[in-house]
Amino acid sequence: MRSRFSFASHTTKALVRRDFLSTLKGWGLYLAAFVSLMSSSFILKSHLGAIKENNILISSDPLNYPLFISLVIVSFYLAIISVISISREKDQGTLEVLFYGPVNSSSYLVAKYTKDMLLYLVMVCFFFVYFTAVSSLTNLAFSWSLVKAIFLSIFSVSCIVSFGLFISSLTSKMRTSIIWLVGILLAFLAIQIFHTMLVSLEEEALSSSLLYLRKTLEMVSRGTGWISPFSYLNRGMQSIAIGSMRLYGMSILYSLVYSFILLVSSVLILEAKGVRG
Amino acid sequence: MRKFSPLSALILALLLGALTSPSLAQAPTLREQLVYSLNLFDGKGYTPGFCPRSEDTIYLIANENNAVSLRSTLVYFWPITGNYVAGFKALNEEIEGTLEVMKEGEVTRSLGKEENVTYYPEGFFAENSRMYLGEEAHAFFQKYEKATEDYYGRINEYYEKMREYRDAFNKFLEDLSKRREAGEELSRAQVEAEMPTEPSPPEGVKFYVTPLRKDYILNLPQGVYQIRMRARDGTIIEDSQKNLVVFARRREGGVGYEIIPGNRWTMRENLDDPSKTIYAAGKNTLYLRPFLQDEYNELYYKKLLDPQNEGTPERWMWVHTSSLENVLLSFLKKGKLLERIKKAPYYVKQIPGPELGYEIIEYKEEEFPGRAPTFEGHKLDLSPVLEKGNYQLRLEKREGEVLKGSERKILLVRKENANLLYLISIFPLIVGLVVFVQRKRSIS
Repeated sequence: MRSRFSFASHTTKALVRRDFLSTLKGWGLYLAAFVSLMSSSFILKSHLGAIKENNILISSDPLNYPLFISLVIVSFYLAIISVISISREKDQGTLEVLFYGPVNSSSYLVAKYTKDMLLYLVMVCFFFVYFTAVSSLTNLAFSWSLVKAIFLSIFSVSCIVSFGLFISSLTSKMRTSIIWLVGILLAFLAIQIFHTMLVSLEEEALSSSLLYLRKTLEMVSRGTGWISPFSYLNRGMQSIAIGSMRLYGMSILYSLVYSFILLVSSVLILEAKGVRG
Repeated sequence: MRKFSPLSALILALLLGALTSPSLAQAPTLREQLVYSLNLFDGKGYTPGFCPRSEDTIYLIANENNAVSLRSTLVYFWPITGNYVAGFKALNEEIEGTLEVMKEGEVTRSLGKEENVTYYPEGFFAENSRMYLGEEAHAFFQKYEKATEDYYGRINEYYEKMREYRDAFNKFLEDLSKRREAGEELSRAQVEAEMPTEPSPPEGVKFYVTPLRKDYILNLPQGVYQIRMRARDGTIIEDSQKNLVVFARRREGGVGYEIIPGNRWTMRENLDDPSKTIYAAGKNTLYLRPFLQDEYNELYYKKLLDPQNEGTPERWMWVHTSSLENVLLSFLKKGKLLERIKKAPYYVKQIPGPELGYEIIEYKEEEFPGRAPTFEGHKLDLSPVLEKGNYQLRLEKREGEVLKGSERKILLVRKENANLLYLISIFPLIVGLVVFVQRKRSIS
């Protein structure tokens, strides 16, 4: 008897190939790359203006911040396409048809995940070309830490893709998936804002209910730091800014564990809910 | 059926937050607290501060004298900085007893108070200072008192000489006018030669020594300890227990720079880490001040400066310890020496006008009598005719003898290409277009 986590590599390859080529042939990927690089260009132009205005800029990695902005935009794009990937096929009934064939939940999920990661690798190629061109045009250094940041981003994006697939496995409508994704990300943001607001106030000045709320938010905020996929990206970039190899390695490890847990959970949910669920 | 709407939840949360935010315009509430008053060695001098009840750990540099004392004072929260502030002027009651230092739960030292002074060899406003204890503290304080006394003596002498000078000058003017009335013709050189000389004011005391104080002196090897205060009746004073983290520098004797940009001399920048690069554009004049520096854990060091500070335990930071003298700054391109620059004093002269409002000129004592230079540094002119590219900086003790760790990079950026950045962002769309055309062709 085949286990629920077994998957036929041939089927997976066929699914990856189909989805990957279909996305490559669309305009979405190129538009997302264009928007993200345009944002980086805007920031870099401001940077260059600031150097002229302030006489100097002292930095070890002037391209890391523009890369981070590009990564955030690309991550949103990948989060959206991964969140709709399963629910769209459920919605259209394609998933049911696929599951009559030699496709099971794990091979399907692995195919979706691999396709999204391959799309990101295409983005990585764009990043390398873009930042090499930026460096030769402006003389801003293409540093070793930028290469480290791009490499680490593969693992951070893996978290975002797994998170998107996890939400997608929970929902059966495309619109609901997007609302959930946006809602959850906004909730993370709201928690962060309220926590920062309450922490900046004097403990003695807070009423007991606000004090309780602050402590609760502190715990929740610590929790969201491990749940939100974007915090893995943030943590990874911080480890590069700090220059700690230990934190860098830990960021990669945490991202792998996070992705693995969410992918396994997605398989279990898909199994439990069925192809129409 | 009830549906969860994230948007409604967010609006509700925002409203709740707005309603529950207390007003920040209220007067701060003063609370009496037992705090540790601190005078801690920060790698170059002594930093005063205090440790409020909210902080449970004090951070110290290993094997250096650090003065602490337990005091009762009024503490209030300052919302602008988000920190507690001590009102020592309103209440500053010293708590007497024995300070116990514990390691792994056992008392290893019981300390009484010791007399101490802080000695500032370059004056009170200079950064470097040392602490002296016991007999040495007395000797330094007496030396300072004697120097101050001598200075006042010289000042009195100066006033007396000035009075004599004024009398002599008035007499000289009277004689001069009489001689001129008598028809004597005097040349300018003759007048100047006969004119009485104005006495110069005496030099002030260059160093400073604080008045004698009595504190508990902590000089401990690296490690984690606890401290607490035992009252004279043998009981432990409540709220006096704190953790003590005694840390050491990770690296020492590095070379760092402080950079004073010519167009905003008050906005100084540090170039401490060797991995950092200076990016410059257009015409620049930079004044570089080299320093010796030690590297500390960022969290520990920031907590040493103020126990309420925050920091990152994984990050390291350089701290300037003393200015580097008698070195030459070399400016190179691809290893080829372009210029060797000596350190010189500079004076910032305020000028009226719509532009910068000041001018930085080389200081010469005869041009600015009675004034000190604003700063000293190595002046590096980055002319606009310099080819855009990569340059290097380094310090040399003597010509050709490079100071280890002093190398830094300067990259001149090409700002004129800034608009091309938008153009290269388009290339993913070009790739998309190529894919689209290929697909069209394969279909047809």
